[in-house]
Amino acid sequence: MYFLGIDIGSLSCDTVIIDQTSGIVASAVVPTGARNVKAIERSKADAMSLAGLIDEDIAALVSTGYGRRRVAGRSAAVTEISCHARGILHLLPETRLLIDIGGQDSKAIVFDGEGNVANFSMNDKCAAGTGRFLEAMARALEVDIIELAQLDRGARGELTLSSMCTVFAESEVVSLIADGAEVKEIVAGLNRSVANRVQSMVKRIAPDLSCLPVAMSGGVAYNEGVVRSLQTQLDVEIAIPEKPDIVGALGAALVARERALGQGEKRRPTE
Amino acid sequence: MLQQFERTIDALEAKLAAPQGNTPRRRYALEFARLGKRLYDGRHPVAWCGVVAPFDLLNAMGFTSCFVEFVGASLASSGVVDTFLDRAEQDGLVPDMCAYHRAVAGAAALGMMPVPQVLVATSCPCFAGQATMENLARLMERELIFLHVPLEQTPEAVRYLVDQLESMITQITALTGRRLDPDKLARTIERSNRAVAVIEEVFELAAHIPSPSASRELKDFGIAMPLLFGRPEAIELAQVFRDAFAGRIRSGGGNGVTKERVRLLWIQNRIQFREPLVKMLEQELGAVVVVDELNHVTWDPIDPQNPLEGIARRMISNPFNGPIESRISKLQALARRYRVDGAINPCNWGCRQGAGARGLMQTGLAEIGVPVLNLEVDCVDPRSFAEGQLRTRLEAFVEMLEAKSSPWS
Ligand code: SF4
Repeated sequence: MYFLGIDIGSLSCDTVIIDQTSGIVASAVVPTGARNVKAIERSKADAMSLAGLIDEDIAALVSTGYGRRRVAGRSAAVTEISCHARGILHLLPETRLLIDIGGQDSKAIVFDGEGNVANFSMNDKCAAGTGRFLEAMARALEVDIIELAQLDRGARGELTLSSMCTVFAESEVVSLIADGAEVKEIVAGLNRSVANRVQSMVKRIAPDLSCLPVAMSGGVAYNEGVVRSLQTQLDVEIAIPEKPDIVGALGAALVARERALGQGEKRRPTE
Repeated sequence: MLQQFERTIDALEAKLAAPQGNTPRRRYALEFARLGKRLYDGRHPVAWCGVVAPFDLLNAMGFTSCFVEFVGASLASSGVVDTFLDRAEQDGLVPDMCAYHRAVAGAAALGMMPVPQVLVATSCPCFAGQATMENLARLMERELIFLHVPLEQTPEAVRYLVDQLESMITQITALTGRRLDPDKLARTIERSNRAVAVIEEVFELAAHIPSPSASRELKDFGIAMPLLFGRPEAIELAQVFRDAFAGRIRSGGGNGVTKERVRLLWIQNRIQFREPLVKMLEQELGAVVVVDELNHVTWDPIDPQNPLEGIARRMISNPFNGPIESRISKLQALARRYRVDGAINPCNWGCRQGAGARGLMQTGLAEIGVPVLNLEVDCVDPRSFAEGQLRTRLEAFVEMLEAKSSPWS
């Protein structure tokens, strides 16, 4: 018996398959592109073929992410807030606060040792402090997003970007290049700007981080520069799981397992 | 606007006459469409006011009176607010100002607000309302009467407001020739008190577990009902809600829409335009808005023989008035009375009342175990409504509440 979780985000669609003991059997990450239904199919098919499974082997499927209601055959759709908390706790059980920076959302989640969410905050209405912001900046710098993650090495960190808005920041980057600013300094400035945005979201729900081990998930967790800048601004160590981009899908698979096995019943109705 | 209200009245009367069509919310919508018609038909002397103006007193003087934000809400709920917001922006109003007032400014500029006999601004709930009234006064070439609502219920503060009410009456008489008949005012106040007594019964019933009130049934009720105070419709309308709620409780409880799993308190404004999220909360997740912050009687019955003092006390007691501690303790009282699991604050875009103190309100409710979800919604302007993002926050909030034990268990 296997359980499947799909996290359909704006930049990538991630699938995780777990077995009865919650062990990860396979995972797949594909770009979402313009047609998320296609991405869902592809991501699921990739994970299923890696695991060597057929549909009948899957006892339950839970979807999460902004496109969670588009996933056919789901047993339930659960928000990415709950799923990320569950997923990270499975990978890094000490964690009590998760920072997730995805394509168009960044969020901070505080939870207990069972993965029950105690509080959360999300960015509103704007792509500043998200993966999209960094993607746009990589484009302005004419570098690959993977390359961008390394480019701040050796920077003195003296340059500050004045604009938080993705569009204005992009033109600011272009004029900084034209003015001869060093790329590493620009990238360090960009990282600080993302980290700054995210740290205020974290502080909103957790003003004191001394007793809350922090981890980070989402594609941006691969970006060492942003992680370093966040660590400095929050003055904490941030743990990163081996595959930070599958945390939501893993959480969804764990919820699927729990519900299929009749565990983790919801609190009784108020009546 | 007049045709819009007339069409609404016709449609609602037809629905109310149909079998099973007589619902409290339709009766409510009908009464307020009729109020809209009276404001716009040119046959009634009109007073445009601030939110806490003494509507019963103005009714006793023969005015059809209304707070101007009603226009913003009506335009948003009928789906035509964009044109008016655009006009306000063209006229130089900043887009991050409260859209209730932007809509009013646009409506006034486009000649969609009848010129009133009287304009009565109030300093509560917000100075943005006061500025809007000043603009209307200039545009409509009318004198503005201003009531400064003091922040606390001290005898001196009450006296200060009573003095202002007295001069308001004198000023209105000087401007319009309309006099206040003390006997008529006493009868009006008696009707106000009777309406408020029935409204208290409605709230008592709504607090029942599970609540007989569906999420949208008492939307805007507490802020809008004072517009009818002193008129028999206020009592009749409150009775319709009371009887419907009592009937639902007698026949097994619940609101007939969903099985209640989570009880919510809605802070300040509701979203005025059509949106699917409150319905989603209720029908998909069993999360019911059982109480709104303004569905709260915060004043004592008014003495019909000495009405101005009671009216002044009522105005001062508005939850948005005075120090934030008093607002927080009112929110805590509501949370306890209705045994809510969580609260939602839409933090209406541009509203200092809703957004400025959101952290303090959140902390105040957290002290009694009630989590608050702060959103960032423009309650009037649908153009910036981020449905997907809001849905995720609301669903996650309900998931969080369901996983946690009730604050009242
Ligand atoms: S929402 Fe805020 S700014 Fe707008 S009318 Fe109400 S109190 Fe005033």
